[in-house]
Amino acid sequence: MNKGYTLNELLIITCAKEIKDHQNVILGVGLPTTAGALAKALYAPHATLMMESGIIDFEPLVPLNHIADAHSCRGFSYATDLFTAFTMTYRGFVDVCFLGVGQIDKFGNLNTTCVGDYYRPSLRLPGSGGAADFISYAKKTVLTLRGGQFVEKLDYFTSPGYLDGGDSRDRSGLFPEGSGPSMLLTTKGVFRFDEQTKEMYLAQIHPGVSVEEIRKDIPWELKVAPDLNQTERPTDREIQFVRHFAPTESIGRNMRVELAIANTMQRAQRRGKS
Amino acid sequence: MNDNGNKVMSAKEAVERFIHDGDELIIGNYTVGTCVELISEICRQDKKGFTLYSQSGILDVDMLVNAGCVDRLISTYVMRSGGKTGGGAVERGLQDGTLEMEDYTNFNYNARLMAGMHGLTFIQVLEGVMATDLFRKRSFMGEDKYRVIQCPYTGKQLLTVPAANPDVCIVHVQRADKFGNAQYWGALGSVAAAALCSKRIIVSCEEIVEHDVIRQSPHFTIIPAFRVNAVVEIPWGAHPTEVLGHYNRDLFFYGMFTEANKRAETVKKWMEEWVYGCADREAYIDRYSARFGIGMLDRLRARSFYSAPANYGAAFTSAWDVRGRERSTGLTLEQLEQRMAERGMLYE
Repeated sequence: MNKGYTLNELLIITCAKEIKDHQNVILGVGLPTTAGALAKALYAPHATLMMESGIIDFEPLVPLNHIADAHSCRGFSYATDLFTAFTMTYRGFVDVCFLGVGQIDKFGNLNTTCVGDYYRPSLRLPGSGGAADFISYAKKTVLTLRGGQFVEKLDYFTSPGYLDGGDSRDRSGLFPEGSGPSMLLTTKGVFRFDEQTKEMYLAQIHPGVSVEEIRKDIPWELKVAPDLNQTERPTDREIQFVRHFAPTESIGRNMRVELAIANTMQRAQRRGKS
Repeated sequence: MNDNGNKVMSAKEAVERFIHDGDELIIGNYTVGTCVELISEICRQDKKGFTLYSQSGILDVDMLVNAGCVDRLISTYVMRSGGKTGGGAVERGLQDGTLEMEDYTNFNYNARLMAGMHGLTFIQVLEGVMATDLFRKRSFMGEDKYRVIQCPYTGKQLLTVPAANPDVCIVHVQRADKFGNAQYWGALGSVAAAALCSKRIIVSCEEIVEHDVIRQSPHFTIIPAFRVNAVVEIPWGAHPTEVLGHYNRDLFFYGMFTEANKRAETVKKWMEEWVYGCADREAYIDRYSARFGIGMLDRLRARSFYSAPANYGAAFTSAWDVRGRERSTGLTLEQLEQRMAERGMLYE
């Protein structure tokens, strides 16, 4: 039997497949933490899940509120500090990290700092956080874009992808050879980066989405994989895991907030509080 | 390591696989609880040509030097076996020209490990030694023992040392799990940095514990599993030095070594009996008990003085409450799935 699945579930499950067994993984805020939990439970039991706050090797039991959330697990293996979490990345001990995207250009360079003028921004975004350092030194980086946008030119260059494309990242001498973004996951599809040019191309497309629809979001002539196919359908086991582990992520933020408010009000009413 | 991440092996196998002639070898422990059995095994396998790092040389350094494993030593402190009446292995090595040594201060040595641990290529250290021969007299490191730079912010002359990234660290701890998560408490010294700056790590421990024990006390972990190559369970693995929570220093037996170490001929006999003459630590303890009585060890055993537990608990460990309702929405899985379907959120 094939269970129906939500878009959020598809995104989490697609993201989780980027984690392989025995890898050291830095999880980012939000979707990647649930993806990490799924990978650890289903495909990568010996992966070491880590957060830059210094929580090393944990097994999430509930969705994480943020990247310093030791409430999500029952203990963990190694408590270190943020400085050491970054220097272990610098030394090459992190296989994969996950980052969210505000703006992205065709070579996978990222802006998570502001939209508009840096000094008088129309949108002030969170900033680098760990992003610039992680994408610099993790062996590979998985990007997720949900509310963000594709741009010709970033309003602020926060985190280095493939710079000007081609071999410019490796040539700069600033980064470990072969590092950089390996995938961009959006609500419409999966993008990867050409081995030679390092330009992103559409590799997979989510159900119910057309290439034309995706092209509308992208200000350059998007390249599309000749073997473009639909994003792999999640298995029942994957869907069940996500739905059990993080039901509120399955339904998404808006519905969660709406239902949670309704629930709290009902509870208050029952207790004669309002 | 097998596919299950289990790195447990014998001292013999660990030393054979991960320590090679000519390696830069670092002793992780500092002054207490040193990895005596791993060192004995290295001696038995007759490894040669080490550049040995040790924060503070005690019995451990002298055993390796006595065994002829060490060409070069980087340290801050050398043990003497008897005041003016007898130095020790390091002194003998320097006198007969078989050993070269580079001297640092405790801080400067530790700084080299910190730089190595964090992937820095050098680190600023305390500049007072620029007035001393520590700075002026250089051995095999030459110019690279210390270099002076100008601070880009203040213009001041700063002293630096290069990062250390030894090939392999040997270290003894209280407990570890089979994956290599190593837990150590007591005098922290430079133990964690020595391990983490190294390329390979061999951990010996008094006790291999279940992974759960590690999970419940992550603040005691000094080396995370993914850095460790081998885990060796060796009860009494640091004897005659001491391990907090397990046993005290065996002053009597340590004294026997010190006495013997005054002269090459006498320490050779000691090594024959207590290193080469014992196949492993079990044989060593058997010999010790046969010779001196097990009571000599019993009186060293630690009594209990447990640290206060730290609470790693959270309010809940599932998104669902005991009645099977999702905590924030108050809905069961069935109800949630019904809402998803009603709102057309589900792809088939």
